[in-house]
Amino acid sequence: MGGESRYEIHQNAYIKLVLHALNHRTSAVNAVLLGRSAATGTVEIVESVPLFHSQIGLLPPLEIALIMIEEYYSDRDLSIVGYFHANERYDDFELSTVARNIGDHITRYFPQAALLLLDNKKLEALPKGKNPSPVVQLYAKDTSTSWKLVGSDRSNQLSVKEPSANIVLLDYISSEKWKDIVDFDDHLDDISKDWLNLDVFK
Amino acid sequence: MVSKTEEEEVNRLESQVDNGGGGAWEYLSLVRKLKLRRSDKVLKHGCSILNDSKKRSALGSEEWTLYEQVAIAAMDCQRLDLAKDCIKVLQKKFPGSKRVGRLEAMLLEAKELWAEAEKAYSSLLEENQFDQVIHKRRVAMAKAQGNISGAIEWLNKYLEIFMADHDAWRELGEIYISLQMYKQASYCYEELILAQPTIPLYHLTYADVLYTLGGLENLHAAKKYYAATIDLTGGKNMRALFGICLCVSGIGQLTKGRNKEDKESPELQTLSALVLEKGYKQQSPTKLPLLTSALKSLKLS
Repeated sequence: MGGESRYEIHQNAYIKLVLHALNHRTSAVNAVLLGRSAATGTVEIVESVPLFHSQIGLLPPLEIALIMIEEYYSDRDLSIVGYFHANERYDDFELSTVARNIGDHITRYFPQAALLLLDNKKLEALPKGKNPSPVVQLYAKDTSTSWKLVGSDRSNQLSVKEPSANIVLLDYISSEKWKDIVDFDDHLDDISKDWLNLDVFK
Repeated sequence: MVSKTEEEEVNRLESQVDNGGGGAWEYLSLVRKLKLRRSDKVLKHGCSILNDSKKRSALGSEEWTLYEQVAIAAMDCQRLDLAKDCIKVLQKKFPGSKRVGRLEAMLLEAKELWAEAEKAYSSLLEENQFDQVIHKRRVAMAKAQGNISGAIEWLNKYLEIFMADHDAWRELGEIYISLQMYKQASYCYEELILAQPTIPLYHLTYADVLYTLGGLENLHAAKKYYAATIDLTGGKNMRALFGICLCVSGIGQLTKGRNKEDKESPELQTLSALVLEKGYKQQSPTKLPLLTSALKSLKLS
């Protein structure tokens, strides 16, 4: 089921995920992916909202964030279609239990949900290569009940809609745009900060 | 913990130094005093002083403190060459010093020579078993290798000796939360609340942990600690106000169909919702409709 789906992520949604992780290099971060399934069987990831950078394992802030985010995007015909996670340690490529559990929760409402894990090695190699593929690993649930890494042989199962996304991303990194990313943690500490991050791409 | 005014001060100084307005030494001293981790800035502005012999000698004996600070920042930024240079200067000035020995061991750690670093740390501990920094390095080293159970073990050992170290309890609590070991995490925050009952953050996180654990008893307790957080912050903590709403809603769900005595009075939730609405109206008006419907969905469920 899920393992057969293809995923396409929009440039801005993708860039926000990576910038959020760069803004909090010393801690684990997470985000939620919003989109819809297209008629072709592709899951289109249109937007992303950065969630937390501290104590990701606590339920109350997550519940509040999901209620508000779902409410906002339901009016725009988008729903939660996946989850993004970046580990605390640079060379940690394990999917933590927290990430799995949040992913599990999302699959209950959207079975083809994608779980993206930041790939620090690919991110580091970004300035050197011209690889257009996103710097994340894709996990999906196939017919079994566990999350499986969708292998690199089928790496085209996740693509960025705009082929130049990584070049734009590099540009944003070098101009230190990551400093401007607001996540839901920031919002709960100071509600005048907007997790929609509308100004980042202006 | 860093207060808001302290953070504003340090940010102001940082942008002043960044823009060539001077005050680098003042900035570096403040970062040290507040124990902040701004390694890239410390490295940049610290080196600019160290590379200028006039500025450097003006510091007097503080010069060596700066070498130490820059060495640690350089290791954090993976500039091991610079760290090595700083440590060399200190070795020459203070031969046989334990404090410099600590830096040497940290450099081994930064090079990921784990066994050698461990050897260096344990020999330093043999000479002084109450060196807190080294005990903490061991925890950090276990964490860096992904050995979380090892980190927990070292931290527990450390806390047997240094029971009053609040930051260590917090670190242990956070590790347990990241492993979703909420029962163990709650114990850490109980310790923290007992030791420092006036710090709202501990009440808040303890409430969050209890809510995450779930169950009627924990939800009731969580609500009390959210209320304490509101009390201690004068109603300014949004997380605690949201927490009350979540708790009351959760309790309502668990006691559905029971007789009236078990039911929650909605007063606390209504008041929290009012404060939340007022806050959003003033500070985040575009999100007010979202808040209103979120609160509505919590009341109905």
